Amino acid sequence: MISSRRDFLWQAGGGLGGIALAALLGQDGVFADQSPGGQIHGGLHHAPRARRVIQLFMAGAASHIDLFDYKPELVRRHGQPSDFGESVETFQDGLGPWLKPVFEFRPYGETGKMLSDAVAPLGDVVDRLAFVHNVVGKTGVHSQGTLLQTTGFNRPGFPGIGAWVSYGLGSLSDNLPTFVVLPDHRGLASNGTKNWDSAFLPAQHQGTVIFPGSKTPIADLFPDERIPIASPAGDAAGIELLSRLNRGHADTRPGDDRLDARIRSYELAARMQLAAPEALDLSGESLEALKLYGLDHGRSEFASEINELEEIDAFSRKCLAARRLLERGVRFVQIWSGNDNGFPRRNWDSHEDVERDHGPLARGMARGAAALITDLERLGMLDDTLILWTTEFGRMPSSQGGRGRDHNPYCFTNWLCGGGIREGVTHGPSDEFGYKPADRRHPTEVYDIHATVLHLLGVDHTRLTVRNNGIDRRLTDVHGHVIPELLSHPADA
Amino acid sequence: MAHPLPLSPLLAMLAFLPSAAAADVDFERDVRPILTQHCAACHGRDEQHSGLRFDRGADALRGGDSGTAIIPGDAAGSPLIERVSADDPDLAMPPKGERLTAEQVATLRSWIDAGADWPNADAGDDPLDWWSLRPLNAPEVPAAPVPPGFEAWARTPIDRFILAQLAAHDLAPSPEADRRTLIRRLSFDLTGLPPTPDDIAAFVSDESPGAYERLVDRLLASEAYGERWARHWLDVVHYGDTHGYDKDQPRPNAWPYRDYVIRSLNADKPYSRFIEEQLAGDVLHPGTRDGVTALGFIAAGPWDLIGHAEVPETKTDGMIARHLDRDDMATNAFGTFLSLTIQCAQCHRHKFDPIEQEDYYRVQAVFAALDRADRPFHSDETDARRYADLLAEKGRVQSQRDKLDREIRDAGGDALAALDERIANAEGGAATPPEHGYHSGIETAQDVAKWVQIDLGARIPLHSIVLWACHDDFNGIGAGFGFPVRFRIELADDPAFESTVTTLIDRTANDVPNPGTAPHTFAARAQAGRYVRITATKLAPRQNDFIFALAEFEAIDAEGRNVAAGAPVQAADSIEAPIRWRTTNLTDGLAPGKAIAVDAAALRAEREALLERVVPDQQRQALAALRNELAQIESGLAEVQPSGTVYAGTIHHGGGSAFRGTGPDGGRPRSIRVLDRGDVKSPGEEVGPGVPALVRELAAEFELPEGHAEGERRAALARWITDPRNPLPWRSIVNRVWQYHFGRGIVATPNDFGRMGQLPSHPELLDWLAADFRDSGQSLKRLHWMIVLSATYRQASTGRADAELVDADNVWLWRMNRRKLEAEAVRDAALAVAGALDPKMYGPAFQDFVVERPEHSPHYQYHLHDPDAPDSHRRSVYRFLVRSKPQPFMTVLDCADPSMQVDRRSETLSPLQALSMFNNGFMLAMSRRMADRVSENQAQPEDRIDLAFRLAIGRSPSPDERAALVEYADQHGLANACRVILNLNEFLFID
Repeated sequence: MISSRRDFLWQAGGGLGGIALAALLGQDGVFADQSPGGQIHGGLHHAPRARRVIQLFMAGAASHIDLFDYKPELVRRHGQPSDFGESVETFQDGLGPWLKPVFEFRPYGETGKMLSDAVAPLGDVVDRLAFVHNVVGKTGVHSQGTLLQTTGFNRPGFPGIGAWVSYGLGSLSDNLPTFVVLPDHRGLASNGTKNWDSAFLPAQHQGTVIFPGSKTPIADLFPDERIPIASPAGDAAGIELLSRLNRGHADTRPGDDRLDARIRSYELAARMQLAAPEALDLSGESLEALKLYGLDHGRSEFASEINELEEIDAFSRKCLAARRLLERGVRFVQIWSGNDNGFPRRNWDSHEDVERDHGPLARGMARGAAALITDLERLGMLDDTLILWTTEFGRMPSSQGGRGRDHNPYCFTNWLCGGGIREGVTHGPSDEFGYKPADRRHPTEVYDIHATVLHLLGVDHTRLTVRNNGIDRRLTDVHGHVIPELLSHPADA
Repeated sequence: MAHPLPLSPLLAMLAFLPSAAAADVDFERDVRPILTQHCAACHGRDEQHSGLRFDRGADALRGGDSGTAIIPGDAAGSPLIERVSADDPDLAMPPKGERLTAEQVATLRSWIDAGADWPNADAGDDPLDWWSLRPLNAPEVPAAPVPPGFEAWARTPIDRFILAQLAAHDLAPSPEADRRTLIRRLSFDLTGLPPTPDDIAAFVSDESPGAYERLVDRLLASEAYGERWARHWLDVVHYGDTHGYDKDQPRPNAWPYRDYVIRSLNADKPYSRFIEEQLAGDVLHPGTRDGVTALGFIAAGPWDLIGHAEVPETKTDGMIARHLDRDDMATNAFGTFLSLTIQCAQCHRHKFDPIEQEDYYRVQAVFAALDRADRPFHSDETDARRYADLLAEKGRVQSQRDKLDREIRDAGGDALAALDERIANAEGGAATPPEHGYHSGIETAQDVAKWVQIDLGARIPLHSIVLWACHDDFNGIGAGFGFPVRFRIELADDPAFESTVTTLIDRTANDVPNPGTAPHTFAARAQAGRYVRITATKLAPRQNDFIFALAEFEAIDAEGRNVAAGAPVQAADSIEAPIRWRTTNLTDGLAPGKAIAVDAAALRAEREALLERVVPDQQRQALAALRNELAQIESGLAEVQPSGTVYAGTIHHGGGSAFRGTGPDGGRPRSIRVLDRGDVKSPGEEVGPGVPALVRELAAEFELPEGHAEGERRAALARWITDPRNPLPWRSIVNRVWQYHFGRGIVATPNDFGRMGQLPSHPELLDWLAADFRDSGQSLKRLHWMIVLSATYRQASTGRADAELVDADNVWLWRMNRRKLEAEAVRDAALAVAGALDPKMYGPAFQDFVVERPEHSPHYQYHLHDPDAPDSHRRSVYRFLVRSKPQPFMTVLDCADPSMQVDRRSETLSPLQALSMFNNGFMLAMSRRMADRVSENQAQPEDRIDLAFRLAIGRSPSPDERAALVEYADQHGLANACRVILNLNEFLFID
C-alpha cells in the first residue's frame, strides 16, 4: 500500500532502518529507488526532455486579449454594445461595450505571430514559443483560480507543482533548495505561501522563498542581527562542536538514521550559507548580460507610481537570479509578477484601466522573460529548461464601462518554451472575441498543461501519486492529457 | 549506522509486515490491499471490466470472460501474475496509474503459490464487513504467550496484547527505560514541556511505591496537559485565526473555540459530550458557554471571503464557494470523529467504501443552513440559559409568524407580491448602493487640492446645494468615507473656473465635522452659474493616505428640482473603479441612506391599505401581536450582554453584501441537491439530512418533522455519531491517542479507516481499548493513564540489531519509539529552558508578526516582529495562526498547516531546518536569556554549563562535554554555548 521508501519515510516517522540519508534530507527524488523496470531512465517513467522548470506567474489575471491573443474582430466592433449570443455571468459588471486591445499588435519572427506592443521584447524570441489560447479555469475568484493554476486544485491543502517536481525528481544540488520561489517585490499574491506549499508532501519540498538582493535572501540563512550574539568564527566553531556532541549522542543510539541525517543537515546548511549568496550575487555578471536584461540603467530609486523601469528592474533581476540558480542545480523556479489586490493596483487585476496597469507590468515581464530565454539559449540550457508562462485566468473582451476588463475564467492564454517544447506553434485557438475556446468541447485545462510539464520531465502524471486521507493524490487530480501538439518530439507521448 | 539488509526492510515496510517470507503472507493484511489499490477500480464492485472482479473471493477465483486469472498453487501459470508483471504496454495491468512494485508482485506470487487462500471467499459483498465497520465488542485479553524471561514484564492488559504479537514474530520486548528518560518522555508527552531539574531529581530519587503513578497523576492534572493535547486536536480540525484564500483577513474571534478545547480536555469531558458540543452544543446543551464556543469546530477551516462577500449564491462562482464551504464542514466532521473520507463521494459513489454520492450530499444537508460568522456566547450560566431560552422562543414565534405570513401572502395574491418586491427594492437600494460615488486619486499628503464639477447645461439660479457622503467599510471607516475636511463650492460659466467665478460656500479655514451619511445642505441664495465645482483643500484621511470622495451632489433650483441629476461630471482625477467608484456616480441619484425615507414608507402604507382590504382583521391582529412579541424577544436578547463572540458555524444574518446567509430566510436550510460529478451546474435530485448507512441498527436518513429547526439536523448527526452502536468514533479516538503517545497509530492512517487506509497492526488491542473507552465513561485521561502505565510505553527506545532485522519499523513495539519534538514543543521547551515562558492561559492569540496594509490584504510580516518581545513568549498553542503566510520558523519544523486536516505531522530534516534552529531570532533570543538565567544562578563556568545542560537535556554533561562547552563559552560567549545546547539532537529527540 505504500509505494516507495519516501512515502514510508513520510508516513511512518518511527524506526527508520535502511533509509538513505539523502532520502531523509529530501535530496533524492521518489524515483531514485524505484527499481522495477525504471533504471534505464534514471528511475523516471521515461526519458526526460527537460531537467528544470521556470514558471512565470502573472498574479491578478493578465489579459490574453491585450498581450498575446490578437482579436481583429474586437478592433472592428470596438465601442459597440457587447453581444455574446448567450447569457454571460461575470464577476463584477464586465458586460460593457466591446473593447479593442488597448495596445497595438504587430507580427514578429518568421512565424509572424501577432504580439502587442506591451510585450514587444518577446518578439525577438517569439519563434521559440508555443502558445495555448484556449486554457479554461473553473471560477472567476482570484484565490481559487490562482490555486488551481499553482496546485491543480481550487482550494487550499494541495502541493504546488514545484513541490511535486521536487518530490518526484529530487535535488540537483546539495547546496541550494530544490524549489525556489521569487515573489513579486511588493509582496505575495492571493493565497500567499499556499501557492507553493508542500501540503501533504514532506516539508523540504515546499518552495523556498528568496528575495534576491536582500541581506538575508533566504529566511534564517544568517543569524538574526537584532540578537547580536553570533560571530562567523563562533558559528563555525559552534557547528563543529555541535557535530561532535551530536556524534557522541548518535553513537550510543545505533540504528536511528535521523540522528545522522540531522548532523549532516548542519553541514549542508553551512554550505548553503556560502552557495546562496554566491548564486544571487549579480555583480559578477558581464555588462553584456546586464544590458540584455535591461539592468544597466544605474538607477536604484524609482517613482512611487507603477512604472516601466522599475518593473523591468524587478522582473529582470528575478529572471537573472533564476538563471543563476538553475545553473547551480535548482530544479524549479517560480517567478511572480504582481502582488495581491488593492488600490492603487499593484498586480494584473485591471478592472479600471488595462493600459495603466498592464502597460508597465507587461513591458517589465516581457523584457525579463525575453532576456531569460535568450540567455538560456546562449548558455545551451534552453534545450533542457522548460519555461511556462501563466496566470489565474484571462480578462473579458468587453469593458466594464470604462477602460478596464472583468475576469474571464472561460478562456485565457499560457505559453511554453524550451525543454522539449515545439517551437513556434499556436495551439487551441480562442473564439473570435477571446471569450471562450473556439472549440468549446476541447478546451485546454491546467491538468493538461501540468501533465505536459511532468511528461517532459520524464514523469507520467498518472503515476506520481501520494496517498492522503484515503485518496491517491496527484498533481492532475483525475484529469489531464499530455498535449502532443506542444511537444518537439510528439512520438514521446 | 545500521543497514542490516538494504532491501528486505524496504520490502517489510512496503507490505507493512516485518517479514514477508512466503509462508507468512496473510491475505487480508498483505494481498487484499494490493488488489484494492491497483485492480478494484476497474475490476470491483462498481465496474467489472472483462467480467472480472477482485473484491470478492469467489468471483476472483472463478475468473472473467477469458477464463481464470488465478490458478492456486501456480503463480507462474496465473494470468494475473503475467499481466501485472508484463512489460508490453498492451498487456500490462493496470493499464493506467501506478504499476505494482516488484515486492508487491512477489507478494502475489507467494500467495498464489501457497494456494491462493482467500478467507471467506464465499462471503457476499456485505459492504459493512470491514474491520472498522464491524460492531465493536471487547475481545478477550490474551493469556500471553510469554517469551522466556519476560514473565513479569507485562503490567497491564495492553502489554498482553503487545506481547502476543511480539511472541508471534519471535521478538522480545525491551526493558524499562531509566527514570530520567521516563520523566522526560512523560513530561513532553503529557504536557509538551520539559521537566525541571528539580522534578527530575525528585522522581529519580523517589524509591517509594507508586512514584511513577504519582508523576502521571500530577502531569495529567496540570493545566499544561490541556494545552498540549488541544494542539493535537486543533491539527485534526484544521483550526486557524485567519480565513485563508484571497485577502486572508483575520478572524479575531476564533480563539474562544481554542480555549474551549483546552478547557474541555483539562475538565476531562466525556468524549460523546465533546462531540455533541462541537456539532450541536447549542441544541443538545443549550444555556452553556461551551455549547456555543464549541461550534467553532464547524467554522475552524478556511473560508473564501471573496467567494461569499462579493459573489451572491445565485451566481456560479458563489455556488462553488458555498459548495466548497459545506464540503469542508462535512469532510471535517467525518474525518475528525469517524476517520472516514466522505469527501471521496462528492463526484461519484465512494470507490472503496460503502458511501453513496447521495450520502455525501445528505451530510452537506446537515450543515446547509450554516455559514461561518461571529456568534455571541455567555460565560455566565444564568445569562447563557436566558439567552438560549429567548432564542428558542424566537424560533417558535418566528415559525408561527411565517405560517401566518404565508396565509396572508396567499390572500394578497399578485398585487401583494408586486408591492413586496417594490418595497424590497426600495429598501435594498437604500442601504448602501453598490454605486458608492466619486473617488479622487490617492495622495500621500493631506493638503493636495482636488476638485470635481458638474455641468448643469445652462446658467441656472440655485436655491441650495446638498452633499451626500459615501459609506465604505474600507479600513473600518464606514459612514462619511472620503468626505473632505475642508472645502469650498464655486459657481462659474467657465468650465476651467478661471473667470466668472462665484464662491458659494467656503469651508477652507476650519475643519468641517464629518456628516456621516446625513445630507449636508448649503443655501445658494439664487446665485447662478452653469458649472458648479467642489474643491477639497484638505483631504479625508484613509489608512496612510488621503482622498476625496462624495456619493451624490445635488443642485436644487427655485422649484425644488435637483438640476444636477444625471448631469455630466468632470474631475481633476478619479480612480474609476466601476461600479463602486466613477465620476458618473456623483449624479446618479444613489447615496447611502437616500430615498428610503420617501419611497419605502409610501409603499408600506400602500401595503397596509391592501391588507386591510383582503385580510380578515383577526389575522392581521394576530400577526401584529406576533410581531410585537418578536420585538420584545429581540430587545430581551439585546439586554443579555454577551461575554464575547466566537467565530462559529451559525445562521448568518447578512445585510447589504452578497454574503447574505440564511438568516433573512429564517435560518431555513438551503436546498441541497446531488451534483453530477460535483458540478454545481449539474444539480440532480434534492436530498434531506442524513448519513451513510454504516450502522445497521441506525437509520441513515434522519427522520425529522416538517419545518424542523436546522439545529435538529446537527443534533441528529451528533446522536448518530455518539450512539454506542456506532463503532467508529471510539476506534477513531483511541487510535489518535495511541498515535500521539507512540508516534504511530495502531492504524497508521488516523483519518482513514476505510479500504484505502491501512489495516490495524493490533486489531484486538484497538477494539479492546475502544470498547473499554466507550463503556467506562469515555475519559481521555483514563485512557492516557492506561497507556502510559503500560510496560509497552515504559520500554527503552534503544535499537537492537536482532530485532531490527525482523521489524525495523517497530510495528510490533519491541521498543519505544524515539520521538522528534514537534514545532510547538521545540518552541515551548526553548522558552521554558530560557526561563522566558509566560504561563498565561486562554484569551486572544499573541501575534508574532507585524501587520502591514491591513485594509485590503493584510501583509503578515514575521521578520518585523521582535523575537525577544515578552508578550509573544506564551505557549505556542496561543499563537495567532495565519493561513496564507504561516510562521516560517514553525513551518520549517513541520508545524501543522491550518488549511489541511492534519491527522499526523510529517517529520522532516533539512538544511533549512538546521539554519532556522541555529540562526532564527527567536532561538538566538532564547539562547541569550538562557545564558542570563544560568549566569544569575551560577558563578563558575563549569557550573553554568552544568545547569544549562540539565535545564535543556535533563542530565549533567559528561566531563568531555562539559570541558568542550566551557572552552567554547570562554571563547565565544555563554549565549552561543547555550545556542549549541539548544541545537543538540538530544534536545530535539526524546528517547
